[in-house]
Amino acid sequence: MGNTLLSLNEATRTVNSGSNKVTLLDNINLQVKEGEFISLMGPSGSGKSTLLNCIGMLDSFTGGGYTFLGEPVHSMKERSRSKLYKEYIGFVFQAYHLIDELTVWENIETPLLYKSVKSSERKALVADMLDRFNIVGKKNLFPVQLSGGQQQLVGIARALIGKPKLILADEPTGNLNSKQGEEIMELFAELNKGGVTIIQATHSESNAAYGSRIINLLDGKIVSE
Amino acid sequence: MIRSYIKIAWRSLKTNRLFSIVNIVGLSIGLATTLVLFLFVLHERSFDTMYTQKDRIYRVLLNTTEDDLETWSNVPSALGPELKDKIPEISESGRFLRHDFGGTAFIKSENDVFAEDKLFWVDPSILEMFDVEIINGSGAENLKSPNNILLSESTAKRYFGNKNPLGKTLTVDNVNTFEVKGVYKDFADNSSINFNVVAPFMMQNAAKNPTWNNASFETFVVFNSDTPSVSTSERKIQGILDVNVKKDEQWYNFSLQSLRDIHLYSSAYSDSYIDNYGDINQIQNLTALAILILIIACINYMNLITARSQKRATDVGINKTLGASVKNVVFRFYIETGLITAIAMILGGLFTIVALPVFNEVAGKQLDISALFSVKILGFLLLIWLVTTFISGSYPALYLSRFSPKEALKPSSRRGGMTSFIRKGLVVVQFSASVVLIISVIVIHQQLEYIQNKNLGYNPENVIAISTAGIRGGQANKALVDAFEKLPNVSFVARSQGYPGMGVSGRSIQKPNSEESMGIQTNRSEYKVSDVLQLNLLAGQLLPKNKQQGDTLVEVVVNKKTVDFLGLTPEEAIGKKVNMQLGDNAYIHGVVDNFNFASLHSPIGGYAFHNAPREPKSYLLVRFSNEVLTETILNFENAFKNVAPNSAFEYTFLDKKLELLYEKEKRTANVGLLFSILAIIVACLGLFGLAAFMAEQRNKEIGIRKVFGASVSKIVQLLSVDFMKLVLISLVISFPLALYFMNNWLQDFAYRINISWTVFVIAGVLALLITFVTVGYQAIKAAIANPIKSLRTE
Repeated sequence: MGNTLLSLNEATRTVNSGSNKVTLLDNINLQVKEGEFISLMGPSGSGKSTLLNCIGMLDSFTGGGYTFLGEPVHSMKERSRSKLYKEYIGFVFQAYHLIDELTVWENIETPLLYKSVKSSERKALVADMLDRFNIVGKKNLFPVQLSGGQQQLVGIARALIGKPKLILADEPTGNLNSKQGEEIMELFAELNKGGVTIIQATHSESNAAYGSRIINLLDGKIVSE
Repeated sequence: MIRSYIKIAWRSLKTNRLFSIVNIVGLSIGLATTLVLFLFVLHERSFDTMYTQKDRIYRVLLNTTEDDLETWSNVPSALGPELKDKIPEISESGRFLRHDFGGTAFIKSENDVFAEDKLFWVDPSILEMFDVEIINGSGAENLKSPNNILLSESTAKRYFGNKNPLGKTLTVDNVNTFEVKGVYKDFADNSSINFNVVAPFMMQNAAKNPTWNNASFETFVVFNSDTPSVSTSERKIQGILDVNVKKDEQWYNFSLQSLRDIHLYSSAYSDSYIDNYGDINQIQNLTALAILILIIACINYMNLITARSQKRATDVGINKTLGASVKNVVFRFYIETGLITAIAMILGGLFTIVALPVFNEVAGKQLDISALFSVKILGFLLLIWLVTTFISGSYPALYLSRFSPKEALKPSSRRGGMTSFIRKGLVVVQFSASVVLIISVIVIHQQLEYIQNKNLGYNPENVIAISTAGIRGGQANKALVDAFEKLPNVSFVARSQGYPGMGVSGRSIQKPNSEESMGIQTNRSEYKVSDVLQLNLLAGQLLPKNKQQGDTLVEVVVNKKTVDFLGLTPEEAIGKKVNMQLGDNAYIHGVVDNFNFASLHSPIGGYAFHNAPREPKSYLLVRFSNEVLTETILNFENAFKNVAPNSAFEYTFLDKKLELLYEKEKRTANVGLLFSILAIIVACLGLFGLAAFMAEQRNKEIGIRKVFGASVSKIVQLLSVDFMKLVLISLVISFPLALYFMNNWLQDFAYRINISWTVFVIAGVLALLITFVTVGYQAIKAAIANPIKSLRTE
């Protein structure tokens, strides 16, 4: 195992719902090393997604400390925070969230556009990725023309194209049948072997088993590891 | 990056056909309207700008200072020469008169007779002022001696075909003979001044013996600087007036009007020989309408984009997690809007090409399609494109780009308290505007209806006025009257200077033993005129049948308004001597009831028929019983030609002539109707799209309700009722606005309708009906769909 990728120290997230203060995440302490494959488990509402969003900097902790690659995220400005996650983090969603109007090729290419990568380089990178995922034949199709499993493959390819250190996957197999789900998990395991750190949230014991580490959440607290 | 955005926008357009069509059609209607209007405004503003001295040329106006204050664009003939001689800043002055003070000339060439309504008697300086370009023969110098005449190029062609007109002889009204001395290039379409035939002003009596009384001559001056001091010059003109007319006899003063203002700012002035005035109010109103329609179309766009914000927000969220900055997202929405507006522009351009002839027809204009391809228009298009893109794109761009990716990606987050409020607000704005337009159109039509059916105090139907200006001599005219009286369908015939609906001679009547005077229209007529017009005689008698030559006694038949002014009853007035510039020997012979001799814009003033031989009796008025009309007219023409074989048969029906008085209002009504329909179509398009979206969004809810037993009608009600509420709010807002605007408009009429509550009921019902049909289609479609399908989608 490599260096520490991120660490959470008493990280807390509360929201105000009406006059009540609701604690979504309660004093989370967590160290993630580069190359780990972590599965977050727990029933609905236990805080899996919130934790993923906060780690992915789409959302922020309201208390405690969060350090990413040695940098204190909690004291950063919005701009540098988003620069950080653009650089190092890729997202995979349960509902895939591909852009309907773009083809497979274009969907995968999009993050590179936002990074202002040159056209020739983009072509090479996207072609590599299509090759690697065996979807070259589908590059000109639109998301609606793909099965769920294929869409998720594209989603993952898109998450990987920017060469992130960390992939955050929120129920990546939630909308897939078991066979497709297995394929995706195999892929994750393979990627992990290649050195990508993965944190996934899942309901499924079998999926969780692909991970190197399982963290159980209940009511916003880590109950076991 | 831009390519990718355009790609996304284009594909999203294709997938969401309904929304795209609604947006693009709506926007292109808005744009086409704006474009047509811009062409129109450009044309109107281009009037008289081609003249090299345009900044130096001014017209002299006369403002009456007694009775009702009016501004005339004609002044006495003595003024023009004085201006040039006495005011050093004025380098040139010139006068012109339309033939017979606004009548038709009968011009005889070698073997044809032409009815020419654009013969002008012109000072030579006018031709130089307005850059008249001689293309054959010689020009202005010919106007310094009598019996020379100049023709415009097209008139020369009309009179002489391809023969050389120079040296040919023309006879006007069988009285004066002229030699054609020159041919000039036609005046431009957008010139206020437009002469077909130019004869020397010096031949007119008013030029030989200039007076300060008869204000009938359009007079222009040229200053020797581009920025003249108008007020100083006006003071100097007053000085000239004071020298020539005693203070207590001055019933008017003068002012100056720049050539640049003549076309658009003269519609309120009376008695001009220029007949193609525009109206700045009309331009302003139309501009406002065009902007309104464009705004409604932009609102549609904003509404439909934000209505779909659920999908949009997800897109924004995804893009943000993939690394898009706020700037990227905002840019993307502008690109998308820009693409849609660009397509709409192209379509709008095509619409314009189709719509321009329609607009020309309705508004009575001759705008040319080729004007579309000028640099100005292309610049305007670019500007409109940017403005529309900016207006329509800003709201979605700024609103949606703010979403944080987490919010945007939440599967079922309920946003839109604020958006739906704004959306509803925008719908209310659209519908309020539409309802104001509906009400306006109804009121305008009612007022026109009222005008056309109002009892005028005389009967203009079945009366024909035949121009007899070309017939000279008592014998011929007598023969003409006799011939007509013998015709089968004719009941009464009278010769007259003019007829109600056209201007006759303006004089003023003095109240005995007082300073007070009142303007009065005087019409030299014959005794049967009141039978022809079916006037209601209140006291006394009609004009006497016969009048001896050289008899200085003048009989006058006045209207009720005149005796009211004199403070007499009709009976008392009979036999009273009147001082109304008809000599010392004028007596009231009869009194007729008031009748509307002018347009219903103005209240009834003084009017008198008289038999003083001061003006020519240029018309033969004939009352006929209405049988086969074409045959009647043919009979009339034959009778006329028998007596006057050398004169053209030119006639007007009095009721047709009256309709012309309200032409402007009719145009306004038609243009208003056109625009209102467009505005309503665009607003409906938006509503249709919005309703479709709402139905789509509530698909699941509808499914659930149906599963639990809701009937189709309940579902339709559920979906429609929200929109109905919005329309009701629009009604509340629009009614007072419409009332205010239309009351203002009606102020222009001395005789006007009261706006009745039924108008509001009609407009309200219409608006609700339109909404119901538009929304109902979507609602029913959603309501009869199989609930299983809608529930399965999640």
